[in-house]
Amino acid sequence: MQGTALIFIIFLFSTVVVVFSLWWNFSLRKEIDRKEEDTKHRMYELAVLKELGDRISYSLNIEKIADIITGSLGQLIEYDVSAYMILEPDKVFINIDLKNPVSADFINEMRKRMFESVSALLGKDFSATKREEVTTGAIVSSEEKDIVQSFFNIPLVIGDEVVGVLTVADRRGGLYKENEMTILYKIVAQASRAVSRLREAVMKEEEKISAMIETIRDGIVMTDRDYRVIVANPSAKALAGLKKEERLTIFDIIKATEGSIDVRGRLEESMKIGRTFTIADVLVKDQVFEIFVAPVKAGVGEGIEALGGVIIFHDVSGEKAAERMREDFVSMMVHELRSPLDGIKKMGEFINSDAAICKDEGALREYMHMIYDSSSDMLDLVNDLLDVAKSEAGKFDIDPRPTNLRQIIAERIKFFETVAKSDEVELASLFGEHVPDEVFVDPGRIAQVLNNLISNALKFTAPGGKVMIQTLFHRKGTNVAAEASVAGVEWFVKDGDDVLKDHPDCIVMAVTDTGEGISEKSKGMLFNKFKQFEASAKSSKRGTGLGLVIAKAIVEAHEGKIGVDSREGVGSTFYFTIKQ
Amino acid sequence: MDNTEQYKNLMSEIIAKQIVILGPEIAVLKARNVPSLTVSDDGSVSEINGEPDKALQQLIDNYVELSGQIVKNALGTIFLKYPSVNKPGGYK
Repeated sequence: MQGTALIFIIFLFSTVVVVFSLWWNFSLRKEIDRKEEDTKHRMYELAVLKELGDRISYSLNIEKIADIITGSLGQLIEYDVSAYMILEPDKVFINIDLKNPVSADFINEMRKRMFESVSALLGKDFSATKREEVTTGAIVSSEEKDIVQSFFNIPLVIGDEVVGVLTVADRRGGLYKENEMTILYKIVAQASRAVSRLREAVMKEEEKISAMIETIRDGIVMTDRDYRVIVANPSAKALAGLKKEERLTIFDIIKATEGSIDVRGRLEESMKIGRTFTIADVLVKDQVFEIFVAPVKAGVGEGIEALGGVIIFHDVSGEKAAERMREDFVSMMVHELRSPLDGIKKMGEFINSDAAICKDEGALREYMHMIYDSSSDMLDLVNDLLDVAKSEAGKFDIDPRPTNLRQIIAERIKFFETVAKSDEVELASLFGEHVPDEVFVDPGRIAQVLNNLISNALKFTAPGGKVMIQTLFHRKGTNVAAEASVAGVEWFVKDGDDVLKDHPDCIVMAVTDTGEGISEKSKGMLFNKFKQFEASAKSSKRGTGLGLVIAKAIVEAHEGKIGVDSREGVGSTFYFTIKQ
Repeated sequence: MDNTEQYKNLMSEIIAKQIVILGPEIAVLKARNVPSLTVSDDGSVSEINGEPDKALQQLIDNYVELSGQIVKNALGTIFLKYPSVNKPGGYK
């Protein structure tokens, strides 16, 4: 009895152990199978993402992405047909790949569901849009009668924009598991994000380049290989007489250059042989351009075909004008020096040739006076030119020291007294309050500035007029017109004058005349050496015309500013500041 | 209409739209991942066990997780039909 019970217990225990082992084995097996499937899915995911990365890493082509994904589907799931639809601006492109033969009804149903999907996403009906369709793989069989039983759509999105849909379908129902479909959605989402980031980066770079090209002053035109203009900045359009928003064509450029250069011929040659051409001095609408024609290539090196060509219009009108001015200046300078030299030589020859002149004291004195005047004029010109040259080279030296301005002005008035009296022009001075007794300046140079301003004032003031040398102290932030009024200064300096606006504490020295005044146009040229020299050479009045240019250089060497205000027919004020 | 009924109708419409956009199997599978919802094979919501607004948020989140914000954007017109329903974040 006891033996039987023992046997029974042992048997029961063994049964429990066996059942438990079987169950444990089964659970373990199931877990291993699940992990195997997960690993298989993960490897598929990685393989497809790697292939996408390798093949489309620098491409914005959504079709390529769709091709790679549909091409790899067989590794993950079973299906009869895979397809993708891409929405293009003027049409819908559909690619259908048949893994197995299906009926035409199957294809039609699949297509209908793809259109319904994008329509639902975008709230727009695409069924009537122009369509381009490509079908590959197995045949569409009229013998097949099955319809779509399992399918899913994956929207294709770049940035925030729906660009299409990818669809997978089969004749068997309930075929697709959630985790398999989710992997595909995940892969498409990752690919979309990569393309979106790339597109954003490309757009940012395009914006930077566009902004740069828009602001460049040179005209830039880029064409494709068929001479169609693909880039043209506002400067290029302005050259051709077009507005910013108008479209430029190659014919506009040919018309603008009036056939002076063979634009198409140069572009063709440039693209063909890969060479840059430079065409100098091309006149376009009264402006002179240097034109560069170059090929545009995708890379550097031999054998790379040109994508198109670029034409750059570099405006050299300013440089040409400056070159002409310099040439004219040199010619005039040579003439101004040669004339008195010629005169001196002739007088010397004359004195030498005629012994009677040496005995005639009056005649001799007259000739010597003429030689002295001519050589003085030449020396003045040479000194002025040297001063201008030094100032342009930044080597204009001053020797500042404590200086009494009142004394300098008094000396200048005494110097010009005789001339003023002879011209019947009143010459006076005025000192405002708070002007210090001493300032730190180069007395010789400041005297030179006053000489220039006073001599100009006397030159251009008619008899009965007045020239005043006025000095006042200006405090930063104070209205200079009010200060002048308080000081009793009479001048033509306008309220809110640009030179004195926001100027720190300084002494303002002004020479005001009641002369013929200066036009607004002429005011801009007063401190230009070329214009002044030219004007002086044509004028009957004595002088090199470089006085104001030198005065400006002296004032600026003292860290001051020089300015002018005038009323035509009434008078002018030339003024400069001395820093405190 | 009772509030729960409104939520049921709203969510049924959402699932119906996702069926068109994504396909019936995946749309229904993702809806059934919301524990408090009972969803039939045709995508209609028959029962909500729990807070309806939380269920709605989770339903939308599931679809967004699958295929991005774009599917959420497509639901704006549906929400206009249910003004009394508490709209999830992102909808006015």
